[in-house]
Amino acid sequence: MTEHEQYEAVVVGCGPGGAAAAATLARSGIETLVLERGAEPGSKNVSGGLIYAEESAPYTIDDLFPDFREQATERPATKNYIHNISGEQVATFDISQLHHHDTEWADAVLRREMDSWVGERVHEMTRETGGGLLTDVRVTGLLRDQGEIVGVEMAELDPIEADIVVAADGVNSELARDAGLMDWEEPEEWFQGVKAVVDMPPEVINERFDIDDDEGVAHLFSGDLFEGVRGGGFLYTNEASLSIGTVFHLDSIAAERAEPHELLDSLLTHPLMTQWLGDEYEEREYSAKLVPDSKKVAHESPHRDRLVLVGDAAGQMQAQGPIIKGMNHAVTAGALAAEAYTTAKSRGTPHDAGRRYEQKLNEEGVMDKLRPTSYDIVGKLGETDSIASLTDTIAESALGRFGVRTLGEGVLERLFSSPRLMAMMPDTRTPYVTIPKIIAEELGEPVTDENTVEPPELDDRIGDLTYDVGDPHIELIDNSFKASGTAVTACPVSAKDFGGGCYRDEHVQTNGSEDHVVSLDTQPCVECGTCAVVADTHWEHPDGGKGVEYKDG
Amino acid sequence: MPEIDPTEYEIAALGPKITDIDDPEEIEAMLALERDGEDRVPVKTLLEDRLEKLTAEDEAVDPSEVDLSELTVADVANLVRDVDDADVLRDMLEREKDGQDRKTARSQIESRIESIEGSEDEDGEIEEVEHVPPEEKHPDLDHPTDEKQWVEGTVEGTYRDMWVYCETQQGELIDVSREMLGKARELMDDYNADPAGDRGVADDDSSGHYGGDEEGNPEAVVAVLIGDSVGDLTEEVLAYGADRVVYHEDDRLDRFRHKPYTEIFCGMCRDGDYDWRDYHEPRYTLFPATNNGRDLSALVQGELDSGLASDCSGLYIESAMISNPAKTGQAGDKREFERILHMKRPDFSGFEYSTILCIDKPNRDFHPQGGSVIPGSFEIPEAEPEPEGEVVEHEMDLEESWFHVDVTDYDQLDEGVDLTGHDVIVAMGRGIGDSPTEGIELGLDLVDAFEDADLGLSRGVITSSYSFDSHVEQYIGEDRQIGESGQVVEPDIYIAAGISGAIQHKVGMDESDTIISINTNTDADIRDFSDYFIQGDLFEVLPRLTEAVESGELPTALQEVSDD
Repeated sequence: MTEHEQYEAVVVGCGPGGAAAAATLARSGIETLVLERGAEPGSKNVSGGLIYAEESAPYTIDDLFPDFREQATERPATKNYIHNISGEQVATFDISQLHHHDTEWADAVLRREMDSWVGERVHEMTRETGGGLLTDVRVTGLLRDQGEIVGVEMAELDPIEADIVVAADGVNSELARDAGLMDWEEPEEWFQGVKAVVDMPPEVINERFDIDDDEGVAHLFSGDLFEGVRGGGFLYTNEASLSIGTVFHLDSIAAERAEPHELLDSLLTHPLMTQWLGDEYEEREYSAKLVPDSKKVAHESPHRDRLVLVGDAAGQMQAQGPIIKGMNHAVTAGALAAEAYTTAKSRGTPHDAGRRYEQKLNEEGVMDKLRPTSYDIVGKLGETDSIASLTDTIAESALGRFGVRTLGEGVLERLFSSPRLMAMMPDTRTPYVTIPKIIAEELGEPVTDENTVEPPELDDRIGDLTYDVGDPHIELIDNSFKASGTAVTACPVSAKDFGGGCYRDEHVQTNGSEDHVVSLDTQPCVECGTCAVVADTHWEHPDGGKGVEYKDG
Repeated sequence: MPEIDPTEYEIAALGPKITDIDDPEEIEAMLALERDGEDRVPVKTLLEDRLEKLTAEDEAVDPSEVDLSELTVADVANLVRDVDDADVLRDMLEREKDGQDRKTARSQIESRIESIEGSEDEDGEIEEVEHVPPEEKHPDLDHPTDEKQWVEGTVEGTYRDMWVYCETQQGELIDVSREMLGKARELMDDYNADPAGDRGVADDDSSGHYGGDEEGNPEAVVAVLIGDSVGDLTEEVLAYGADRVVYHEDDRLDRFRHKPYTEIFCGMCRDGDYDWRDYHEPRYTLFPATNNGRDLSALVQGELDSGLASDCSGLYIESAMISNPAKTGQAGDKREFERILHMKRPDFSGFEYSTILCIDKPNRDFHPQGGSVIPGSFEIPEAEPEPEGEVVEHEMDLEESWFHVDVTDYDQLDEGVDLTGHDVIVAMGRGIGDSPTEGIELGLDLVDAFEDADLGLSRGVITSSYSFDSHVEQYIGEDRQIGESGQVVEPDIYIAAGISGAIQHKVGMDESDTIISINTNTDADIRDFSDYFIQGDLFEVLPRLTEAVESGELPTALQEVSDD
């Protein structure tokens, strides 16, 4: 094997997971190189927008980066509501209690601002150790020596060897896939989120949401807003903008041939939103991302050889009903991975960090939050088809409705506020659509405000997101509509009968016969990874500095 | 009670903390707590190590008395570092020789003696580093170059001028050749200028200004042209800054071939005997960092027994203070080297820069100081309208064996299509989807109806899976794309057929004088920035437009069909 550049630790990706790992490694004086694909940390990153600090967590982001809340976040979520919607009927519950459970604080964030601030700290800390943060570098795969993972390969640089490789390269982690630890096979293992960041002056936010400068609100939405597609919506208040988005089970988006941007629009244009959006709607940014369903994919042993996976790369994204937590788990996992390496090194077995990391994830209770035992037993059972439709039928029946009425608002609100119950929820129509719909019908009040919001057309949303991707980074392996046609609708920047998106369906005449195919233009790609799951592609990220660049994220 | 209770910490957190504790008693107390508490082996080891380190520091060792046989070589190395008295060290050396007589220990002591006494011997003269040829120094290794006459052969040779290899393609100079000539001119003008002090200016400008060579004679920029009928280019090369151009023509040199090109270059600058070259080798050489230039630069610099800084993006000539004894020939002293070409090159893809210097050794010269230059690094200079300079045709016999490797086949990359500068552009979009071949045919018909027009495409067509018949397929490619990632055009008339007008397309055409769009969809964005919008199917509208243009009735026809 040829001589390679050596670092003690290489961290791939400078989101919260990578930053936590790098900061913790640097604190122990470990020579750490951080590689970031974007032009700046955060430029590739999207989240719904709430970052939590859990009381029970061994690490929180403000432990690792003092002044984090002052410098990098928007408003704290001081009030939490869930709205059950059926047509124009809306029943609103206060679920602040559920959100305050085990929560030290929870702040709304915009990722470009947050991650770039954190990235600067990371660079300062890692530079002290002889490493640093390099941007515009895409790690393309793992460097192996006689089959064993010993480092990383990059598009822009020569391979680098390291005693530990922390893959914090996000939901579409190329390293996790290279190592065979994660795949993109099953749509039911993923959610897809789309989000609009809406411009709004702080004083208008304060007035419309009835809050002060240092307060904020988190609203969740569920019910029949979304044509039966399983999922829900959210609205978080930032300092001078709102983050409004929708998150759906990808298998449901695929099966219903739903258009994600239209689902977002149906939330934006619902009468309920009028009180907050007013008459002038100014969308700053449209974004999208895949979200792993940790109940199903959080890897129980997220390491191989010298490689450890943290955050989305390891499927560590907790989405259970109204509980949506990802960044906090990434922070914990990143710091634990670093801790595991430090311990392993001091015992003289630096390459043994992975096993210790796995152990720490279990001991610190992270695994149990990500893959609750109660869901494995109760929830999965509820998802088998016959039981699911039975539950749905019972809920829909007079008996079920009677139950909703008798229980009444107070009890239901308490039930929604039980973290244990939410962890058990099966992922079927019942909790997402049927129950909220019935709750709204039985307990809701009609909302009749006229919503005048006109969300931008998809081509205008994409227009603000044009980038140089260089060579196409996604290759269609099978372009038949049968194999890859779902991407035309499921891709958040493509749509049926829209020629300006990534995926377009086309009928092609060849030798007298007509083929139904899809064509692909990766220029508008937001790198969410949806098509990697629902279509037959060879999927890679664009090279360093190329591709989507979010301003808000 | 110690300040830190180790049992409350993970070992990882403890490590950094205890390095700040300097009191052995404190550590001992912590050790006791750990033993009584968690009793973890690695924590105890950590504490014991620290304790040992602290106590070891206290036990001062007297180097003049210590029993060297009790110390490891590493200990000896640490010990001698603090000894400043050469006599004590000599005494230690004697004791080591009498005792274990370890070669490594002796060399530690000897090198300390040397660094204290400096490189001066008793007479105050500078002690030279003894030169042993590598063949003698390492008889156990292979020495594949020991027969080669030039290696170690040239010492204190004479070197002059900056030589620039000017690459050509298709009988034309390529831009980087012009860029290098401009840079070489600038560097040598500066080099030949009098030192700042001589001009009555404060002498704080460190770059250049040597007033020419060591005797004060100006040095030249020498351009090299090699190829088939490159004699036609000599005038141009002089115009871009060369003082002298040396060219070698041969029809066998129509394409770059590294063996003959290398032989010719070295023939010009070293092997041949010419009245215009009264020196051993060039002082400096520049090559383009193109595929061929990289190939040639490595071979030439290797043949000239010098080094090469490849892929440089910055160049300047300056003096350099060097302390490396391999270069200065004197241990411990710095020496200033003059006239050093500083070659700046990007590392880590431009995340870092290094500056490469190529400096003579006492027993071996490293000239020419050479580098290859990344195209685009420097400006193309203004060409001198009436250049003066010397043109030398180089002659040498080219051995048949140099041409054994032949290029049997090659492809010329497409030049691409330039859509700018036409009166009219007819651009086709995904509206042709129902019958793509026919759509392109109709577009081409309209193009032909104008005097000076060409066909453009939207990105949506280029990235589609449409299958085109072979007679129109040649028109479908990225070289005809209009828009943000394609070409930007500003014709008098822009006709957009079946294009919806996304922002990415708009930026490529909205400066056109008159925009005419054809679309079935009246909500299409393109309507917002069209002068004429024709609602209709391009398959019906285009033939009528073509007819109108051919009969000279376009304005009337437009008024009839347009609703904007």
